[in-house]
Amino acid sequence: MALIDIFQNTLDGLTAGASYALLGVGFTLIFGVLRRANLSYGPAIMLGAYAATWVSLHTGAGLLVLFLVAVLATVLAGSYVERLCFAPHRRGPAAAAMVASFAIWMQLEELATLLLPRHLYAFPALYEGGALHFGPFSLRVESLLMLLAALAVCFVGWKALYATRFGVAVRAVIDDPRAAELSGISVGAISLRVFALASAIGGLTGFLIVASHEQVTPMLGMWSTLKGMLAMMLGGLGSLPGAVVGGLALGLIEAHSQWYLGPQFRDFIAYFLLFALLAARPPWMNTRSAY
Amino acid sequence: MLRVQELVTAYGKIEALKGVSLEVAQGTITCLLGPNGAGKTTLMMTIAGVLKPKLGTVSFLGEKLSGLAPHAIVARGIALVPENRLVFPSMTVLENLRAGAFQRKDDFDADIERLLGRFPRLKERSAQLAGTLSGGEQQMLAVARALMSRPKLLLMDEPSLGLAPLVVEEIFAIIAELHRDGTTIFLVEQNAHMALKVAHRFFLMEQGRVSFSGDPGSLAEDEVIRRAYLGSSRN
Repeated sequence: MALIDIFQNTLDGLTAGASYALLGVGFTLIFGVLRRANLSYGPAIMLGAYAATWVSLHTGAGLLVLFLVAVLATVLAGSYVERLCFAPHRRGPAAAAMVASFAIWMQLEELATLLLPRHLYAFPALYEGGALHFGPFSLRVESLLMLLAALAVCFVGWKALYATRFGVAVRAVIDDPRAAELSGISVGAISLRVFALASAIGGLTGFLIVASHEQVTPMLGMWSTLKGMLAMMLGGLGSLPGAVVGGLALGLIEAHSQWYLGPQFRDFIAYFLLFALLAARPPWMNTRSAY
Repeated sequence: MLRVQELVTAYGKIEALKGVSLEVAQGTITCLLGPNGAGKTTLMMTIAGVLKPKLGTVSFLGEKLSGLAPHAIVARGIALVPENRLVFPSMTVLENLRAGAFQRKDDFDADIERLLGRFPRLKERSAQLAGTLSGGEQQMLAVARALMSRPKLLLMDEPSLGLAPLVVEEIFAIIAELHRDGTTIFLVEQNAHMALKVAHRFFLMEQGRVSFSGDPGSLAEDEVIRRAYLGSSRN
């Protein structure tokens, strides 16, 4: 039944899209505040997942502990990236910070492979039972959790940005850093806090991804950076609700093109769409803040 | 209140301020006039901490300011209404005002109400995004945002720039009103005629230096205007 396929693919696309949306939100927070692409965002998430894997292998700790380790390690790695790549280049050319973040990417990958040298490690499953069935449709409990986490992060993030003093300051820095400084807002302090926040969201996402895939590889770093950047760009560069829509759209595009055109077209279609968007630059795409 | 001494600020090798000294007395409206490129905006940006001086000092109420970050200077009681207003375009009028009060720990809702009472057009548009306001409304918002930090000294960089004559009148009426309420104001203006009407004291700047200072009556207005627009050396 074609209709059932479309529905099941949409469901699968949305659950994959939920993780892309989370990565996109983290990316957008950093890009918005710093106007710099942080290529090391994914690798910091990967390092967090590796730290959790290491703890799991050595202590057999439970999921809650692993979750906390992943978040904490990602926040630490993220803050390291901020201090090293972004704090010194706040006024300099954007390319300098981006290249620096690429160097740190390599460093973080090396660190991960020193910690755990094999290419692939198992990670404890988020949920041991089987998938949920609704009539002809099935949904993994892990996917449901991912969707719920994405919704929760968006809701809490929305509240934090639109209903708190900190949120007003963050949006002021995103709108106009110089005017924010002149209004008494310390751009440096806000940037570091946003970086830590985005890293915490990244740590949560990384944990959910490896716990639902039940494995971790160093590729998680590049994967997270690419998916997060794609979600951010599809969502119009610099808009948080846009990043959520962009992430979900990316998941849907991937799921449908994989089903109708074959797995080899999955990434091709997504990147082609990004290329077309960047070439056409529709009006909702915010090119003001990019360089 | 504000004392600037031998201030030199450079963009790379080009010195935009070549040793500027001036003083702003408490309770006055002091005006800075001069042709384009004289260094007026550079001076404002240096006082506010956005630019770092190469030499010289800025002190405020006896405390040295030069070297501090802009947010630290706001904390000491100086707020700058920057050239071209620089409101936060994707935030509402109300959020712009809250951003201006970022450092305050006390309850500032009463101040927001008071400012919206003073700027009725902002009150009507309080839920509107600042980017959708007219130039005059954005200027009023920029002034109100700066006032939310409750500055002892308000710096204003060309508040009349690009505004219609009626709106300029309105802005100057607001400046006079703020002064009556006890705010000290240091104002950069191209509109010498309007500026001399409200100012207690003025400075002329030309090519990075202060070339004249005095009361509004101490130099004929047409001479001030000639020098403010053209500079004395070029006639």
